[in-house]
Amino acid sequence: MEQLAPIAIFLFVLFLLLGSGVWVGLALMGVAYVGMELFTSRPAGDAMITKIWSSSSSWTLTALPLFIWMGEILYRTRLSEDMFKGLSPWMARLPGGLVHTNIVGCTVFAAVSGSSAATLTTVGKMSIPELRRRNYPETMVIGTLAGAATLGLMIPPSLTLIVYGVTINESITKLFMAGVLPGLVLAGMFMAYVAIAATLSKDFDPTPEPPMRLADKLRNSRFLIPVISLILVVIGSMYLGYATATEAAAFGVIGALVLAAAQGSLTRATFGESLMGAVRTTAMIMLILAGASFLSLSMGFTGLPRGLADLIAGFELTRFELLMALLVFYIVLGCFLDGISSVVLTMAVVEPMIRQAGIDIIWFGIFIVVVVEMAQITPPIGFNLFVLQGMTRHEMTFIARAAIPMFLIMVVMVFVLIAFPELATWLPENIRQRPGG
Amino acid sequence: EKWDMPLAYAATNFHSEVAAGFAQCVTEGTGGALEVVTHPSGSLFGGNEIKRAVQTGQANIGERLLSAHQNENPLYGVDSIPFLVSSFDEHEKLWSIAEPAVSEALAEDNLHYLYSVPWPPQGLYMNKAVETVEDLKGVKFRSYSAATARMAELTGMIPVQVEAAELSQALATGVAESFVSSGATGYDRKVWEHLSHFYEVDAWLPRNAVFANMDAWNGLDDATKAVMTDCAAKAAAEGLQRSMDYTQFTLDGLKEGGMTVGRAPDALVEGLKAIGETMTQEWLDQAGDAGRAIVEQYKSSM
Amino acid sequence: MAAARALRRILDGVYLAGGVIAAGFMLAILGIIVLQMLARWTGQVFPGATDYAGYCMAGASFFALAYALNHGAHIRVSLMLSALGRFRWWGELWCFGIGAVTATFFARYAIKGTYWSWKLNEISQGLDKTPVWIPQLSMAAGAVLLAVCFWDHLIRLIVTGDHGIRRDLVDQSRGE
Ligand code: NA
Ligand code: NA
Repeated sequence: MEQLAPIAIFLFVLFLLLGSGVWVGLALMGVAYVGMELFTSRPAGDAMITKIWSSSSSWTLTALPLFIWMGEILYRTRLSEDMFKGLSPWMARLPGGLVHTNIVGCTVFAAVSGSSAATLTTVGKMSIPELRRRNYPETMVIGTLAGAATLGLMIPPSLTLIVYGVTINESITKLFMAGVLPGLVLAGMFMAYVAIAATLSKDFDPTPEPPMRLADKLRNSRFLIPVISLILVVIGSMYLGYATATEAAAFGVIGALVLAAAQGSLTRATFGESLMGAVRTTAMIMLILAGASFLSLSMGFTGLPRGLADLIAGFELTRFELLMALLVFYIVLGCFLDGISSVVLTMAVVEPMIRQAGIDIIWFGIFIVVVVEMAQITPPIGFNLFVLQGMTRHEMTFIARAAIPMFLIMVVMVFVLIAFPELATWLPENIRQRPGG
Repeated sequence: EKWDMPLAYAATNFHSEVAAGFAQCVTEGTGGALEVVTHPSGSLFGGNEIKRAVQTGQANIGERLLSAHQNENPLYGVDSIPFLVSSFDEHEKLWSIAEPAVSEALAEDNLHYLYSVPWPPQGLYMNKAVETVEDLKGVKFRSYSAATARMAELTGMIPVQVEAAELSQALATGVAESFVSSGATGYDRKVWEHLSHFYEVDAWLPRNAVFANMDAWNGLDDATKAVMTDCAAKAAAEGLQRSMDYTQFTLDGLKEGGMTVGRAPDALVEGLKAIGETMTQEWLDQAGDAGRAIVEQYKSSM
Repeated sequence: MAAARALRRILDGVYLAGGVIAAGFMLAILGIIVLQMLARWTGQVFPGATDYAGYCMAGASFFALAYALNHGAHIRVSLMLSALGRFRWWGELWCFGIGAVTATFFARYAIKGTYWSWKLNEISQGLDKTPVWIPQLSMAAGAVLLAVCFWDHLIRLIVTGDHGIRRDLVDQSRGE
């Protein structure tokens, strides 16, 4: 790499702006601008607007504000309490208690939403206040949420898998199926961690839930009916062909409004508050997305991601070594880029390496999703960290530290995938495709 | 000097491979004085950004599906008039007549036209066997452009707007039951997982055009321009050949996947030709004299 | 002082108005998507629905940028700022300075880009055939609003020593 000095300047500016407290979206714009000035003579401002406009006026994104809004509505109903009333009798006895609702909630919602941010805001809005009220340790609440929300990317539908599938010309349906089992296994590993950590930790001392007989537990489960029916409506609308993935979000909002009205918690005031709250969160996320889209363009001009991938390609590694190198590569890249950009910026070089090494390309999609999930929670640029910061007002360093165990679990998950590739490949190979319709 | 060349399609797509060959040809032909670097998969600029980006100098060169811009100028859609041509040869004839006019239109948009490569012919993907246009009535048809929406309307199909990224899911869930595209799209997306029939109707052959920013082009010395023009001619020829080869390859692939692949029944073709007449007329109404001259010259040459 | 208070009220009102317009766009997204589904189920056509929803998405984001800033919704890494202690003012000056310059840069090019879309007569590539500059006005307006908001807070920071951004107390997501 002959361009060491410009790379150093680039990274220095990134850490300077982000670290000194400049707003994340604007800091990304600033870094991208510096990159453009250093590495290309193309007009930075004009190119920035091209990217910002197309990244913020896209149809597929419209699901994001709607799911955020849905979360805001649900949060203002008794639904979150109800969900806890319904779930707590079943989870309270597990080691780790109600923290499991974070993971179960994210897993279920991941089946509705293709984005990690939407999963995070919806589940977080409901669970954080309830868990805090019950004195669960904050690090565990935040950490599990940050980690489990990334399941939104692996459990279908998944924006990342769509982009991956389109980039490498592979069946998106197969990729979706490949994501199911690893998603569930990863959720299971998160839950196992919670159980172990809760048992070992001295700080883990939540307010105990009142003991309950089985009959009462079952009776309390009626509180779950609204949540479950909402999720069924959203998922059902999609799989029965009434709605596309994006449109399903509209079902979510309308369903949430109906639930709120049925509970009598839908007033003009709560409606307005939920809407304005959703607008603020959307604006916050969109400013970061705008900056990130410009940064990814700038990165494209610098040629850095491709250069690194080329470098790895030059080592002529064995299959396992190659995967390890790519693991490190994508973790490093994921610190600075969002997952989708990492995929499109590198796939041109990585795909031939993978195919040549005889690695199953569907399996590799799941591998990629796990590393992209890690990118969501690694500083300095990790989307879930940003969203959680907006929601909880904790420092990003606090959130990132809370998420470290989840990051490590995902690293373990990579090795699980390598040891048991069938996790990803069995379902797509064995569920009979409807031949020709 | 280094020119970054944004491409919308994956690196393994034959258009991208032809473009990569072109880039290498220019880089080598100029002895590295002008290095062209391709950025596939929309990793620099995405498909719908590329024309504007090159037009305004955000990138010096790029490749774009030309007919996507026919809202701006009907001439960009001359390659996509439904059922006007019905084979590669006919399409090439039409294009040889239209190329100067399109090149001129691009020049007005501050773009220097270099070369273009056709996609394989567009066929009809269906979830059932059809004999006549009548059988199409009520089928949910994926539309993505004004022309495809109009086609649905004229055939009595129900147009549903589905974006490229959502195509697979829309087919899987039955939101869409039919669409028009090349065999390549169906092969790449493994459409046999959802649909049963592919009818070769050769509806039209859209082209990807490669163009340079006019100011950047004018800034090149004559030797470099000559190298680029040579490389462009080579790329056009190679691209056409690969498109034809790829057509057969993908049709075989669709068959292997389990789809029924074949020429459309005569009755269906006739019905579609009639619709083609209507749509050609509608296109002519928009395209004015320049368009009329192209189509008339094409028809008289047949 | 009265003039300053009036100006304060006007500016805060303008940011809020931006937020309300954004909320209107959010409702429009929902409306368009519902209409599109209704149209499909009944065999009707709503041409360009996805494009219009995309434009509303842009409107819902850009118009609310300043409003979100004024409510402290935009996030940043404030660890170093807290560590600065009594020198925090200098840190804030740096942040708001960078913010104001970047937002102005963004606004300048958002206007230029919109202007060129008009000048080049760029038409949307979708079924809607909208001249692109029309929806892009939301980007230009929102970016200008954000820049104004940043300069507003920067000047306040310099004059009064406080930037005046208060996190929304009703923002119950803090859950404290
Ligand atoms: Na998902
Ligand atoms: Na990261």
